[in-house]
Amino acid sequence: MTTILFLALLLAYACGMLLPLCFPSRPHIQNVIAHGSASVACSLGIALGLIGLLASEPLVWFWSSSIPLLTFSLRLDSLSAFFVLTISLVGLAVSVFASGYVQEFYGRIPVSLLGFLYNGFLLSMLLVVTADNAFFFLIVWELMSLLSYFLVVSEHEKPDVRFAGLFYLIMTHVGTAFILVTFLMFYQETGSFAFEAFRSADQALPEGLRTLVFWTALIGFGTKAGIVPLHVWLPYAHPAAPSHVSALMSGVMIKTAIYGLLRVYFDFLGGPFPWWWGFVVLLVGTVSALLGVMYALMEHDLKSLLAFHSVENIGIILLGIGTGMVFYAYDMPHLAALGIIAGLYHTINHAVFKALLFMGAGSLLYATHTRNMEEYGGLLRRMPWTGLFFLIGAVSISALPPTNGFVSEWLVFQGLFLSLELPSLFLKLMLPIAAALLALTGALALACFVKAFGISFLALPRSPHARKAQEVPVPMRVGMGILAGLCLVLGLAPAVVVPLLDRVSEPFAGISIAGRMFEMGGWTLAPVSGEFSSLSTPVLAIILVGLTGLGWGLAYVLGGKGKTRFYKTWGCGLNVTARMEYTATGFVQPIKRVFSTIYQPTVKLETEFLEESHYFAKQRHFEFSIEPIFLKYLYHPILKFFSTLADRSRVIQGGNLSLYLAYIFVTLVVLLVVMG
Amino acid sequence: MPTLPVNIGSYLVNLCSALLLLTCFAIVAQRRLMACVDLFALQSGFLAVTATLVAYLTGIHHIYLAAILTIAIKAIILPRILKKIVRQLNVQREVSMYVNIPTGLLICGGLVILAFFITQPIVHLGFLLTQDSLAIALAIVLIGFFIMVSRQKAVTQVIGFLVMENGLFLAATAAAYGMPLMVELGIFFDVLVAGLIVGIYTHQIQETFGSVDTSRMKALKE
Repeated sequence: MTTILFLALLLAYACGMLLPLCFPSRPHIQNVIAHGSASVACSLGIALGLIGLLASEPLVWFWSSSIPLLTFSLRLDSLSAFFVLTISLVGLAVSVFASGYVQEFYGRIPVSLLGFLYNGFLLSMLLVVTADNAFFFLIVWELMSLLSYFLVVSEHEKPDVRFAGLFYLIMTHVGTAFILVTFLMFYQETGSFAFEAFRSADQALPEGLRTLVFWTALIGFGTKAGIVPLHVWLPYAHPAAPSHVSALMSGVMIKTAIYGLLRVYFDFLGGPFPWWWGFVVLLVGTVSALLGVMYALMEHDLKSLLAFHSVENIGIILLGIGTGMVFYAYDMPHLAALGIIAGLYHTINHAVFKALLFMGAGSLLYATHTRNMEEYGGLLRRMPWTGLFFLIGAVSISALPPTNGFVSEWLVFQGLFLSLELPSLFLKLMLPIAAALLALTGALALACFVKAFGISFLALPRSPHARKAQEVPVPMRVGMGILAGLCLVLGLAPAVVVPLLDRVSEPFAGISIAGRMFEMGGWTLAPVSGEFSSLSTPVLAIILVGLTGLGWGLAYVLGGKGKTRFYKTWGCGLNVTARMEYTATGFVQPIKRVFSTIYQPTVKLETEFLEESHYFAKQRHFEFSIEPIFLKYLYHPILKFFSTLADRSRVIQGGNLSLYLAYIFVTLVVLLVVMG
Repeated sequence: MPTLPVNIGSYLVNLCSALLLLTCFAIVAQRRLMACVDLFALQSGFLAVTATLVAYLTGIHHIYLAAILTIAIKAIILPRILKKIVRQLNVQREVSMYVNIPTGLLICGGLVILAFFITQPIVHLGFLLTQDSLAIALAIVLIGFFIMVSRQKAVTQVIGFLVMENGLFLAATAAAYGMPLMVELGIFFDVLVAGLIVGIYTHQIQETFGSVDTSRMKALKE
């Protein structure tokens, strides 16, 4: 039954990849087939994910191949099933959205090619999280990276897109190299590429090698996830891709790295590990979360802003997982499970709201043909649906109740606060600091989305583009609507979500905690006990709605019958124009000042005065940029080192054929003499 | 079954191998391209004779086939292709070399000594019949390589490459009594294709640089 389901899913993806190629130069038909197949495949994927999550035993598929060491073996345990579910849920909404969005590309980019890559990309992600053989895993991982690279460079006629693609390609291969090393170390010890062998406890790795595996996996998967300081490719690559692809990359693809980390740390390495592993992950998470949101604040390109927020949210996910690892190291399975559940909860939440926000950004791009926030404005009136969905996404990512972002961040906080049960004084001090920084992150994220939503959707249009904007086609709205609904559902129903996540964490933490996390018949979420802390989002939602209603009601009762007057905004007798509005740059000015040590901003103001008087300016030119410190202090020195090395070694490249032959000849003779 | 006594057979094989080596020296000493090609054809002929001898003495029949193919491809077809190229390009002589002829010959002599020196420890392990051929084969490979390094014209470099190939073939016949037939066929095919491709490329080099002097390709460097 499940095998048939799985084969049907493969077939649907294959149709989506290949059928559009049979209809050359009919972009509309290609679009419908490609994204229709992807939607069907994703629906099947959702079913498969749910079955896998509820199954008591992992589902296994196996095909042998004639290539040595390689078997096409797939395994769907609860962790894989969770990621299959996440990928398919987001994939479904994005596919519906894409069928509208891709119309933008008719005649510019071959839609059949786009559909081929898109379906292949989804399929490769699905295979990454289900692969049960290291060799096979690496192949599909590489496939995923390459397909996403080709999608990133869809608009390759633009030089900055080509640059972003190249940057991404290099970084992702650096990461893949580290993952390869990780698996080779396992192979060396176990003599097999099967995950089953990695997993078996009787072939446990020696302690030194385990530490090495910890680091290589963190760097390898961290590059894909975009942890600081390996995040540098993310703000280039994600905005450069077509928006529906950005939604998938930012929402789902970087999550495959989280999958990889969980798989390696909890499943393969298993056993008790040193506490500092968890601490390192926590540290990385905190730094990523804080720096991610701080750089996001300074971005005025909506898609780059969202890309930086991915760095932030990966940080929050790692905070959850890191807490779990710390507790796991101290053999406190209940709290370890809580940390993992918090991380996983935030994983699916981020996938949902980040994809939603990227689709929103895509809709704005579709309607206005610009990504610069300073050229938006007044779009809520012109695009009310997009505005509503974007607002829901913004509320979620800012972790405000009653949406999903709030629940998962609350769980992460709980994990961090519970550090007072740890035996180590150092960690007792450190974890609350992480919690404080997470709180700062949350506040900055809120500021950032007040900016993003306010500048984009409110006030007057700041450019002709924004003035002429129109609501996007229905499929795009439906795609966004699905995820906006999911944001609310995931927020209001932790009672359904947490037991499912508990099934994922159970094999790792060795204990099921879902039964004890709820009080009052499932309406209240209480991680340890109702006295320590508890949360009930449905009740919270009712209170919020009730209070709003109460406010309106009171205003209506007390304020009497208000007369509605339509009149110009008060403006001191001047006509209000868009140039008087608060700009995005202006909005973040205070924050820029406060954190100027980190931003190292350079502000250039050139004023050209009138010849007659120095009191009147003829023209002002304002320039503002922040220092990309990681590029400047970490990447440029490395780059410089290698280019100097390459320059030096170019001396031996004489350009003469005989010279090259002579090199080989001399080497041969020397080797013969020395070895002979 | 061989009617010749084994030691006489061994002498004959060694003689033929030595003749191969001698043609190598002749190629190094020769300036005229046409003569170089002729010498290569002659060398291939000697190679075929060696292979036939080995086949006869050991009774391994597929070496006969290899010998026939050597004659056909290396002694007839490839020299023709090369001569055609030489005529088309209208270059008859190698005017300048990186190493002049007397020095070149001396270096080649050194290479032969090196080859014998290197193979000394493993010669005792070889078959009685072809003991010294291995050293000679290695010497031919090295000299072929030396020809590629020391000459400037693309055509002579091709000849150097083919001489190396001959050396390798001799080594295979001498040390292992030939390779499996499939491998040999593959190698012959490779050599033929390489000859054709090199022919085309030489022509392209001529068109682009107005000469087949590969030292002019320095211009390709940034």
